[in-house]
Amino acid sequence: MLIFRKPIEGIERPQMPADAVIVGGGPAGMACALRLSQLIDAHNVKNSDSQLSKENIYVLEKAREIGQHCLSGALLDPRSMRELLPGFEQEAPLDAEVGKEAVYFLTKKGKLKLPITPPPLRDHGNYVISLNRFVKWLGGKVEQTGITIFTGFAGSELLFDGDRVTGVRTDDKGVDKQGRPKSNFEPGYDLHAKVVILAEGPRGSLAKQLINKFDLAKDANPQTYGVGVKELWEVPSGRIAAGEVMYTLGWPLTSKEYGGAWIYGSKDNIVSLGFVIGLDYPDPRLDPQHVLQEFKKHPFVGKLLEGGKMIRYGAKAMPYGGWWAVPPVAGSGWMLVGDSAGFVNSARLKGIHLAIKSGMLAAEAAFEALSKGDTSAATLSEYQKKVERSWIKDELWKVRNMHQGFEHGLYAGMFHAALQFVTGGHGLHNRYPGKAGHEHMRKLAVLPPHGGSEEAHLLGPAKGDGKLTFDKLTDLYHSGTKHEEDQPAHLVIHDTNICEQRCVKEYGSPCQNFCPANVYEMLDDASTPNGKRISLNPSNCVHCKTCDIADPYQIITWVPPEGGGGPNYDGM
Amino acid sequence: MKILVCMKQVPQKDAPLKLNETGAWIREDVSYEVNEPDAYALEEALRQKEQHSGEVVVITSGPARAQQVLREALAKGADRAIHLEDNAFVGLDAFNTAKAFAAAIKDEKFDLIFTGLQSDDYGYAQTGVVLAELLGWPHATIIMQIEKKESGIRVKRELEAGYFQFVDMPLPAVLTIQSGINKLRYATLIGIKNAKNKPLRKVAIAEVKSAIGENLQKIERLYIPQKTKKTEHIEGLPAEIAKKLVDKLRNELRVL
Repeated sequence: MLIFRKPIEGIERPQMPADAVIVGGGPAGMACALRLSQLIDAHNVKNSDSQLSKENIYVLEKAREIGQHCLSGALLDPRSMRELLPGFEQEAPLDAEVGKEAVYFLTKKGKLKLPITPPPLRDHGNYVISLNRFVKWLGGKVEQTGITIFTGFAGSELLFDGDRVTGVRTDDKGVDKQGRPKSNFEPGYDLHAKVVILAEGPRGSLAKQLINKFDLAKDANPQTYGVGVKELWEVPSGRIAAGEVMYTLGWPLTSKEYGGAWIYGSKDNIVSLGFVIGLDYPDPRLDPQHVLQEFKKHPFVGKLLEGGKMIRYGAKAMPYGGWWAVPPVAGSGWMLVGDSAGFVNSARLKGIHLAIKSGMLAAEAAFEALSKGDTSAATLSEYQKKVERSWIKDELWKVRNMHQGFEHGLYAGMFHAALQFVTGGHGLHNRYPGKAGHEHMRKLAVLPPHGGSEEAHLLGPAKGDGKLTFDKLTDLYHSGTKHEEDQPAHLVIHDTNICEQRCVKEYGSPCQNFCPANVYEMLDDASTPNGKRISLNPSNCVHCKTCDIADPYQIITWVPPEGGGGPNYDGM
Repeated sequence: MKILVCMKQVPQKDAPLKLNETGAWIREDVSYEVNEPDAYALEEALRQKEQHSGEVVVITSGPARAQQVLREALAKGADRAIHLEDNAFVGLDAFNTAKAFAAAIKDEKFDLIFTGLQSDDYGYAQTGVVLAELLGWPHATIIMQIEKKESGIRVKRELEAGYFQFVDMPLPAVLTIQSGINKLRYATLIGIKNAKNKPLRKVAIAEVKSAIGENLQKIERLYIPQKTKKTEHIEGLPAEIAKKLVDKLRNELRVL
């Protein structure tokens, strides 16, 4: 019997007042905290008689250490960092400046270099970074300001008073598998905040509560996502220059799936490579981790990696619905920033600079609201206006229809992308409609049989040769993920009967395929109608959120496990 | 009871071992954590204090990053901390580390000093017992239980094969604590916040320099073990093969 995590009811909880609570210590959250601190410092210099304190500004971060859950390619567009910390290049951990870029279209054995790099993928002036290291550095800056970062604490619920967000409840610690308090139980705190800034990354769990409660997405396109599966490699010297950037389209995906790979050369012969797959693919048998393994078998990639060593693995969802999928980003007592709002440029495959900028703008709005003592929707909506007046809107407006254009496959997508590029993002319509990715998944009955179709090479789990390619568990080991074992499952399945009675027949249990961490397993069980029983390995979870997004019945809710658990993306 | 807990910051257990050409460990992407047995030592000290009142002081040596273990200890309830802060402390052997600690606490009067049984990185299990010798105090290792008595303490030591030993000891004493002696508590938000204002004394290396000497123990070389594999075919009739195999297992490999 699966027991799922939920806050323990009927207990006294410690209460703590706060001015601002930032949930999530990634680039958006850290930039927000830092900007808030700068504004307070500037105010205090000018107003010696009315000093503001940072003592009640908090950042909650579910990872045990700052940056450990941060995963991206990553390329950094320095625009927003130059605004936040002029001269940041002097001290930030930037691994290489992009010096060379290329885009390839892959066939099974061959490759075709695009004669010109499409303008959105021109990366001169950007930096190859490890997002983990970068955020560690940024977090260090925040800690120096006197703002408290609570690492190892997740936001498990929002606190409401009518239509107002009044705070955040942190995770209960020391709860056993059955949902009972252990001898070292520590109840989650109720942090009562004047303003709550959700910077949880893609598909944030509190952001999901908020969006559902107030039906915030009703006028937006449904958010669509991709999942990036990444490996970090150390390769023999001379294979790739530091600052060399390559993108690929095509193989091993077919024209029915949206996605592609990145390969970035970093310093010290480190290569970041990964595959992003749109979570709106039709075939439920597709396995993103398998796609990455297949990709590495291409001679072009194999030659680059041969004799090298895979040192880290990880996976993370990214939102790429674009401008039309961004819900309202401010309301009574709350703001959404970064990936939680959906600020990603899907044509450039970049969002870190937008996350930082949105965090800064939210900080400015929060500062003004806190100074006035008014964090109502009317005041905080200033953040919405700031976003619309800023270059975030300029940048996203031009690519507002990018991903929707690909809903009917690669070739149609390329047509739309080119058309949109010359029409400033307009294409055929000012607003292309979109539907949620999971609605594209097709039932087994309407798919071509095993072995017969062109995508047949991606069926089943990757086996791996242990050198160039790996099975899922070997990869997973390199994510360094770790959780307290004795706790309820944090992958909340609202109705396991659907898994066992319908999904297994209709879709063939795609959770086993799309999860890049082997969390989901269908075990043989003669007592169930279809002979299968769902089983979870929550300790394997790498917090990528793919299950919450891709499940065709939308019955999985990812909630944070006990704070401190999760992957260890050091160097990623 | 006034208790000192010696704590060490160690690389996380799954930290990658990456060496440069000279055999030095590249620690750029290494995250650190509290040495596990030290966390139990701290928990035990906090429990003793809660029962018998007193004070819990934590001490560590190492660069600025090592302060994290002290912050965590203060957040969980330690009263104050001592940080021997210098990168040079990383290279000290157990003997010199114990000497530096002894010098740093010479003006204090503790009833008990706890250390973890051993460190997760080097695993010497020496610092605690050497410290006891330097102070001229009795010590006991692998402690699984501590009970206060009128004239001192009674401790339970873990021996092999499920055996335990009970020892009555006078105070002051040094105890090295085994993992699993108790159940660790979680730090709380208010604990973390309050830890920022608890006293933390920094000790520069100059203050204890006169106490420390040449390292008695040196690491010659750090290297990643080469994986080797040798396959040998034994040929002949089954009975001969069996005989040869037994001979090899018994006399060459000595596993029988």
